[in-house]
Amino acid sequence: MDPLAAIRDTFFQECEEQLAELESGLLAMEAGDTDSETINAVFRAVHSIKGGAGAFSLDALVRFAHVFETALDEMRSGRLAPSQDALKVMLRASDVLADHVRAARDDGAVDEAHTAALAEELKALGPDGGADADEGSEDDWGDFEFKPMSVDAPDEPAPMVGGGWRVAFKPRADLYAKANETALLLRELGRLGAIEVECDASALPSLADIDPEAAYLAWTVTLTSDADETSVREVFEFVDGDCELEITGLQTDVGGGAGPDAGDAPEQVPGGDLDISALLARAQAAADSRPSSPAEAIPEPVPAEPVAAAPAIASAPVATATAAEPASPDGQGQPRKSEAGATIRVDLERVDRLIDLVGELVINQAMLSQRVMEAGFARASGVAMGLDELEQLTREIQDSVMAIRAQPVKSVFQRMPRLVREVGAMTGKPVRLVTEGEGTEVDKTVIERLADPLTHMIRNAIDHGLESPEKRAAAGKAAEGVVRLSAAHRSGRIVIEVADDGGGINRERVKSIAVERGLIAADAPLSDEEIDNLIFMPGFSTASEVSDISGRGVGMDVVKRSIQALGGRIAISSRPGKGSTFTMSLPLTLAVLDGMVVSVAGQTLVAPITAIVESLQPKASDVHSLGGHSRVIMIRDTYIPLIDVGMALNYRATPMDATQGVALLIEGEGGARAALLVDAIQGQRQVVIKSLEANYRQVPGVAAATILGDGRVALILDIDTIVAVSRGADSVRAEKRLAAAG
Amino acid sequence: MSMTVLTVDDSRTMREMLRLALADAGFKVLQAEDGVHGLEVLTQGDRPDVIVTDINMPRMDGFGFIEEVRSDPHYRGVPILVLTTESDAEKKNRARMAGATGWIVKPFNPVKLVDAIRRVAA
Amino acid sequence: MTQINPNNAAGALRELISFRIGAQEFCVDIMAVREIRGWTAATALPQSPSFVRGVINLRGAVLPIVDLAARLGFEGSETTERSVIIVAQIGEQVVGLLVDAVSDILTVTDDVIQPTPDVASDTAKTFVRGLLAIDGRMISLIGLERVLPDLDLEAA
Repeated sequence: MDPLAAIRDTFFQECEEQLAELESGLLAMEAGDTDSETINAVFRAVHSIKGGAGAFSLDALVRFAHVFETALDEMRSGRLAPSQDALKVMLRASDVLADHVRAARDDGAVDEAHTAALAEELKALGPDGGADADEGSEDDWGDFEFKPMSVDAPDEPAPMVGGGWRVAFKPRADLYAKANETALLLRELGRLGAIEVECDASALPSLADIDPEAAYLAWTVTLTSDADETSVREVFEFVDGDCELEITGLQTDVGGGAGPDAGDAPEQVPGGDLDISALLARAQAAADSRPSSPAEAIPEPVPAEPVAAAPAIASAPVATATAAEPASPDGQGQPRKSEAGATIRVDLERVDRLIDLVGELVINQAMLSQRVMEAGFARASGVAMGLDELEQLTREIQDSVMAIRAQPVKSVFQRMPRLVREVGAMTGKPVRLVTEGEGTEVDKTVIERLADPLTHMIRNAIDHGLESPEKRAAAGKAAEGVVRLSAAHRSGRIVIEVADDGGGINRERVKSIAVERGLIAADAPLSDEEIDNLIFMPGFSTASEVSDISGRGVGMDVVKRSIQALGGRIAISSRPGKGSTFTMSLPLTLAVLDGMVVSVAGQTLVAPITAIVESLQPKASDVHSLGGHSRVIMIRDTYIPLIDVGMALNYRATPMDATQGVALLIEGEGGARAALLVDAIQGQRQVVIKSLEANYRQVPGVAAATILGDGRVALILDIDTIVAVSRGADSVRAEKRLAAAG
Repeated sequence: MSMTVLTVDDSRTMREMLRLALADAGFKVLQAEDGVHGLEVLTQGDRPDVIVTDINMPRMDGFGFIEEVRSDPHYRGVPILVLTTESDAEKKNRARMAGATGWIVKPFNPVKLVDAIRRVAA
Repeated sequence: MTQINPNNAAGALRELISFRIGAQEFCVDIMAVREIRGWTAATALPQSPSFVRGVINLRGAVLPIVDLAARLGFEGSETTERSVIIVAQIGEQVVGLLVDAVSDILTVTDDVIQPTPDVASDTAKTFVRGLLAIDGRMISLIGLERVLPDLDLEAA
């Protein structure tokens, strides 16, 4: 990849991190944390985005970031109080900044009117109350383009302005303290043209009086060059203020330009081959030979005084400046980086490759165990015990490797505050989002696929869950509604809850809608819980409820399906007047699955345990034929469709005797129940999920494959599809009939 | 022998840009993510010929970093260039007070960057 | 393996693996072949065409097995101990091809490969890329692009 394109990718990745940092910092400030480190982090986030954007000439982004940064700088320096109002503006500005970043990344457009309006609001926060941000600094962003190019390009000399310059230069001690060097300045001057250098050592005191940190020498340089004064001054740019500097133009008598003070005819030094050491050695000699010097002159290098260090400059430039003092390689007293937060960034592909390999290791280990058992080794034999240890280790490796892919849910949680702000504004409901357990970790893929359902549920919670401020007031509640988003680990799964403190589910209404839409029989006896769960039924939410906020025809059934696609479950609990809570329970990883291994018509299949409610041995009296191959089974006074898995997958042509098999009671899509008839249950085990699509394609009724201990491939059932296909498209009505029949 | 340059910047983007520009110019590049890390790299790695540092950084900012380097007898002679995002006179002055040798305005032009490094390095 | 000289297009050397299905001989470009392994029982796939024997485990990857005889329109192969799976790369996917036996590795130049005659059946047109005459035997060069079932056509 083109290195610049790669850096551009890095930039946009980093922007996302900075935007997240920015938002969480602003939210922390809104919650009262106005610690200077928080403000600094917020400032730095915008500052970094601006810096990178400048390098890529993303002008619109730079302009907005600059205005934002200016306002944050006011807050950072204490000139602008972090009031709720100011922070609200900044939070909205962070949203606009995010839009700009994404527009820059995707070559998209931004809402310019919106940007301009917020820029004005930001400026209005400043001390001048809306005076334009300093234009001067905008100029800094003019023509920067990052183009790696040859660095050997010679400086084009400026047009001839005169014969040259006389530069009188007297360093102060500060100049050396900042690691600037007279020798280097002279070298730079030498690049502009031919120079003649004189050193005035008259200020040099006697050895006893020399202050190693002081500067005593003054220099007069005669530069024969076409360079203009600006170029000459530029040489001294970094030492401005740390030296006395006088630059005067010379007559155009090229080559002769000795200054008025020049006594001896100074040697002319060609610019290209300036020998600084020689020059400084001469200066040294001049100092030595001064009549006022003590007889022994200066015998040893003087620490920190560049003249003394001169002979060594060419080879070891800086070390000599401190040669007189002992080095402290142990870096005593320096703060140490704490080890705790040390992280490395690893390409995801490498992690996935590792996970694949560990998956193979698990399979191999299982195969080995099986063969050892088949070979007739006793359980207590050394081989079998060694294998047990290997199994233990393999599991630990697998857990550790899975943990690499685990990430805190923070990355998806932190997208929600913006959503809450926007939906709150659109619905006119003041709402506060409270998040808990952001650090709870789960597989990266699970996190990525959580964003959509969570977004939808939070929209729903605000749009449908929370009452209007008036209703809340009437109910004696605070005007501001609260939506709580939390995550926690519970028995090997992650549990995520979305709770609102709204009015709770209106069960009368839900029931009447369900009846109206033909989802349930009018007289179906339903518990409160069953009524609440009706909202997950396909067809429950219809176009009449579609609002801009809750999306177009996306109902809770879609949310439920996407959670189930992740091997998860979702449930709702609601208390009238107090609010509703949606609880999702998800596996920590998508790479393995807890499965029930079953036999069907000579094949070994795996059913995801999450879908199975219970298993039972059908009694002949409970199984009834509904005509054709359709059968139902009575479980606790309810008729439930009995699906012959062997038939559904075309493994056999005639139905098996139900009493010879085992029925797995499952809960599928939309809370629909069914019983899967299999020949026998072999056991439960964790299986590594393998894609069928990688080398083949999707197979209806099959979710994925896995490899069992005998090395053979077993298919993992896609229960929802099997149920849907077996019942046909008219399943809803069938259930209604069943409900009526029951 | 190629020169070694230590860059200290909290932005990954900036670090990659600096590395690209400096490596292209034939420098050996050491990198650190903030002042504290910069001091660590100083004590662990090769002694750099020049240090290029950002100002705004977490944990220890550029000013603090420069002061620390200047207060260490072993490193105080190392030229330090600061990267400033704006030609802000106040920041430049503070950096110089702390002991910065020179400065580069971000976004930097790689030629100017390398030029500035050559200017302050022997 | 023989290096193919890209500068010698007309007479470029190709290596082909020839194999037997029933009494007929076929070959595929050796560049597509990853490995050759013995037959192991496959796990049957529901809702799949009859020429897909199922899937096997190849060092952790799930590999579909195509019965090449059935795919080419012959009677499906009776798998024996001598049956062989040619593991081939087809685009991004890796597929196992069930054949009766592998016979030879041929090194030929492109000009030896004759175009498929017009009389050929639809199956031949779909899979046969050309014919070779080697030592009096006719060997059909098979193109593998269409070996897997076409999703759109088979789905119905």
